[in-house]
Amino acid sequence: MHGHKEKHAFEPKIVAFVCTWCTYAGADLAGTSRLQYPANTRVVKFPCTGRIDPVFILRAFQKGADGVLVSGCHPGDCHYMAGNFHARRRFAAFRQLLDFIGVDLNRLQFSWVSAAEGGKWVEVVTELTERVRAMGPMPEFRELEAEECWSGAIDTPELKEAYETIP
Amino acid sequence: MNNSAQTQSIDPALYATATEAIRAEAKRVLEAGTVAAVVGWQAGRRKGSALPAIVTDPTKADTLVFSPACVNNLALYLTKAKKEIRQKGRLAIVVKGCDLRALVGLMGENQLKREELHIIGVVCPGVQGRGEATMAAKCRECAVHTPEGTDVTVGSLPDLPRFTPVESEELARLEAMTPAERWAFWKEHFARCIRCYACRQLCPFCYCEQCLCDRNRPQAVETTPRPAGNMAWHIVRAMHLAGRCAGCAECERACPMDIPLNLLNRKMAKELKELYGHEAGFEVQEKGPLAQYREDDDQSFIK
Amino acid sequence: MSRIGVFVCHCGENISRTVDVEKVAAEAARLPGVSYACDYKYMCSDPGQSLLKKAVAEHGLDGVVVAACSPRMHEKTFRSAAKSAGLNPFLCEMANIREHCSWVHEDREEATAKASDIVAMMVARVKKDKRLVPITVPVTKRALVIGGGIAGIQAALDIADAGHQVVLVEREPSIGGHMAQLSETFPTLDCSQCIMTPRMVDAANHPNITLHTYSEIESVDGYIGNFQITVRKKARSVIEERCTGCGICSAKCPQKKIPNSFDKNLGLRPAIYVPFPQAVPNTPVIDRANCTYFRSGKCGVCQKVCGPGAIDYGQEDSLIVEPVGAIVVATGFELYSISEKPKGSPIKGYGEFGHGTIPDVIDGLTFERLASASGPTGGKILRPSDGKEPKQVVFVQCVGSRAREKGISYCSKICCMYTAKHTMLYRHKVHDGQAYVFFMDARTPGKNYDEFWRRAVEEEEAVYIRGMVSRLYQKGDKVVVMGSDIAVGLQVEIEADLVVLATAVQPRTGADTLAQKLGISYDRYNFYSEAHAKLKPVECATAGIYLAGACQGPKDIPDTVSQASAAAAKVMTLFAKSELEREPIVAKVNERTCVACLYCRKVCPYGAVEEKELRDRQGNLIRVVAYVNPGVCGGCGTCQATCPSKSVELDGYTDEQIMAMIESL
Repeated sequence: MHGHKEKHAFEPKIVAFVCTWCTYAGADLAGTSRLQYPANTRVVKFPCTGRIDPVFILRAFQKGADGVLVSGCHPGDCHYMAGNFHARRRFAAFRQLLDFIGVDLNRLQFSWVSAAEGGKWVEVVTELTERVRAMGPMPEFRELEAEECWSGAIDTPELKEAYETIP
Repeated sequence: MNNSAQTQSIDPALYATATEAIRAEAKRVLEAGTVAAVVGWQAGRRKGSALPAIVTDPTKADTLVFSPACVNNLALYLTKAKKEIRQKGRLAIVVKGCDLRALVGLMGENQLKREELHIIGVVCPGVQGRGEATMAAKCRECAVHTPEGTDVTVGSLPDLPRFTPVESEELARLEAMTPAERWAFWKEHFARCIRCYACRQLCPFCYCEQCLCDRNRPQAVETTPRPAGNMAWHIVRAMHLAGRCAGCAECERACPMDIPLNLLNRKMAKELKELYGHEAGFEVQEKGPLAQYREDDDQSFIK
Repeated sequence: MSRIGVFVCHCGENISRTVDVEKVAAEAARLPGVSYACDYKYMCSDPGQSLLKKAVAEHGLDGVVVAACSPRMHEKTFRSAAKSAGLNPFLCEMANIREHCSWVHEDREEATAKASDIVAMMVARVKKDKRLVPITVPVTKRALVIGGGIAGIQAALDIADAGHQVVLVEREPSIGGHMAQLSETFPTLDCSQCIMTPRMVDAANHPNITLHTYSEIESVDGYIGNFQITVRKKARSVIEERCTGCGICSAKCPQKKIPNSFDKNLGLRPAIYVPFPQAVPNTPVIDRANCTYFRSGKCGVCQKVCGPGAIDYGQEDSLIVEPVGAIVVATGFELYSISEKPKGSPIKGYGEFGHGTIPDVIDGLTFERLASASGPTGGKILRPSDGKEPKQVVFVQCVGSRAREKGISYCSKICCMYTAKHTMLYRHKVHDGQAYVFFMDARTPGKNYDEFWRRAVEEEEAVYIRGMVSRLYQKGDKVVVMGSDIAVGLQVEIEADLVVLATAVQPRTGADTLAQKLGISYDRYNFYSEAHAKLKPVECATAGIYLAGACQGPKDIPDTVSQASAAAAKVMTLFAKSELEREPIVAKVNERTCVACLYCRKVCPYGAVEEKELRDRQGNLIRVVAYVNPGVCGGCGTCQATCPSKSVELDGYTDEQIMAMIESL
């Protein structure tokens, strides 16, 4: 077992969108193998990466995710044959768009994790968590959520207080 | 390079010749009864302006014009704005090269059938941008002055100077920025968005009966013109047009808040060309780049 | 307002050791919509399940979240518990706080917080869950088998023996396929026709098998359990019901000089013919392209001599519709031909082998016909050019196969063995002859296969030369084979009397067209793709369609027969119930908002999306929308992610459910 855990000043919120057949099962395997990884990730299960709409990623960032992981079956292993191939193109395009808008792509990770790769799941999640932790909170989308209009800087004590209480 | 691209510098006779040819062709097909209506442009009330027109009477064919003011992409009138006219029967439509690309895209998306259209292509030296005298940014880098694959093509192309590619330069400038700088750039621009949806109304590809962004169960995109919703709307819009948008830039022209929307479209088109060699609107394709795949597609971004 | 129940499981100590389950339950109780929350030692135990059932009844719960292990472990358990409590099973969700939480985190505080988050997500989801009912699809217990080679015959016989009706469709005038052409078979050297023809007769005489020979699949509609197959029965010009198979028409036909493709054009046949004496059915067909009557309108001898009046020159193709519930595709293979550079194919052709212009360069199947007792030479090995017995025969393996630079990278699997067999057959028939084999390596995995190959080398004295052949050319009446022997590092030249090329096994011409009709996928070579390389090797991704034999990839006879029986077993499994029940995780189209851009159809891996015409009461077309066939939909949801207006939704994974989870974060 690991030694005493280090406490961090900032714990990022990571949302993982995974397919049920490969990555979800891979994460299960990490569990049955009692592998340890940071507790920052919240998993949303899909039948297939092909089902994952870019809007979900956007929404996750808007709802305060500091990092997003999308993970599914390796090419050729898709339970539905082609879902991950379609997802691959969709996300190749979407990440370019986010990059162009100004989202730091270090916060968005894509991976193939098979049902047999409990170790890889741990590796991917740990790496992303540590990277995002080092980057700090993602202010961009959260600020937008808070702002009523762009010019409205948070410059009154009331606004500041209200802003601080936003979870 | 010519940085002050002026539509006025183009010989007015060229437009006049094209106008005559459009009128003659419209008259011919209407008289012959091969089409029920011709979708084209006619002169607006204000001098030097033009607006979309649907002509069904051959005697009215000579109201049609082609001028630097013929900015509208008429493809819109077949699928959205006046789609009931398609019930009248076969239609003729006047298109510039850029408009034709939209038509071709719509055919690939099952919205139009080639055989139901009589396409009158017009060779276009460029149309107006903001301010009547300047040439639109898209026209400065136009690669489709002459529409291909039409039923008839009218007009001819003058020797055009090489214009400064302002859009490409702007795109390159943005690409060279850091993500934070780009975020600031777009934040500033989307700040102005009033969610009038003119960009959506004018887009030939935004033909959904119900836009995802208007749904409230679940609400994927906030509808009020607040920063969060504005950002989401423009991201979703760009994503939905990726691989489909053929660059008519009507969204940008229609935007009352001067948001450089076509930059997003151009960026996505550029990426999809680099990734998958796809260019929208040149041939009728059953599957766009995001509706197909190759087993050996790039996956260098996937761990 | 929802009434959700949350049940937090300790899993002995597996969860409670690192997760404060009481706290998780207490926090869950405070979530909006949760009317009951508790924790329990073992939720999956009988008392645990009873607890759940009792709570559903007592608190009038309309949704349940069980926070325990992975849904892959116990979702079924708790869903059936929910069902027996009168709740729709799809209103029961599991929050995975064991595999995804207690087992992977040590810090109690963090793990507890994460467990609470997971529960909150699932509570948000369950509130948006819809009642779903399993989909039932009626099954027509009748099978179609496409292809009447050994694969198709085996599958048809197995299904028919199980008591189901089978429609067997064969493109050629007779069933039998390639196996009927073979002389003897490895590794036992038993006569192919001796084992094949009884199976052919069995198939023809089986009361449950309807045979359509000289027929092709015109179109395929429908889906698993409910296919409508249109079969084009090509005009035979002979009325099958009347023909007695006496053969007098063939005997009297004045046009007798037509190369017989069954004999690889070595033998000749008349214009009205059966391809080989043991053909099934033994009903001749008129080859209209070569028949004098059809060419000039004069002749009509066969009609005059036919006693039963079976000849019908005016016969036309007929279309027969066959309703079936399952399809076995067994269209087999053909050999790659070097005689010309294939047009429009990625394959490069064999210019260095003369593109087949040298008459004494033949392929493996031609050699089979030469060696067959019923073949054009009566089983004597005589070379095509001058009918002389060849004294030196060179066999070349891997022609086309395993040659990436030529366009085919796969191994044709059967050539090593049949070439070894050929050398033996040759040795047995020409005692003073010498066989040489150019080979890359001998691939002989299979029962008694390597022993067989060693026998060819060690006892039958075939000379195996490890190396490739670079060129063939005619020199006098010899064919010069230029090759290399990499074992000694020398160039080798052999003046051969006959050269036999083991050319690549390829899918049948038109395999892609058939696949498009069936809606099944195929690889770059047109071999049909199985649903899963290891676990679903006979199923197609398209439900209700199964594969047998070499249409899926090169195969020898034992493998082909095994796969055919496996495909038949899959069909019988399907036919074991009169209704097919499946999870209702399928996509549905919102016809109100669909604009028929059909992006869903473009991305659907199952071909489950069709166009549907919406009509008013007078029958006027209003518009076209997409329709997802629930019998075919596999439930991946790629359509929904692609649909611009989200007019198609995957039940069980709707946008509302997913968004609710994200919102709860």
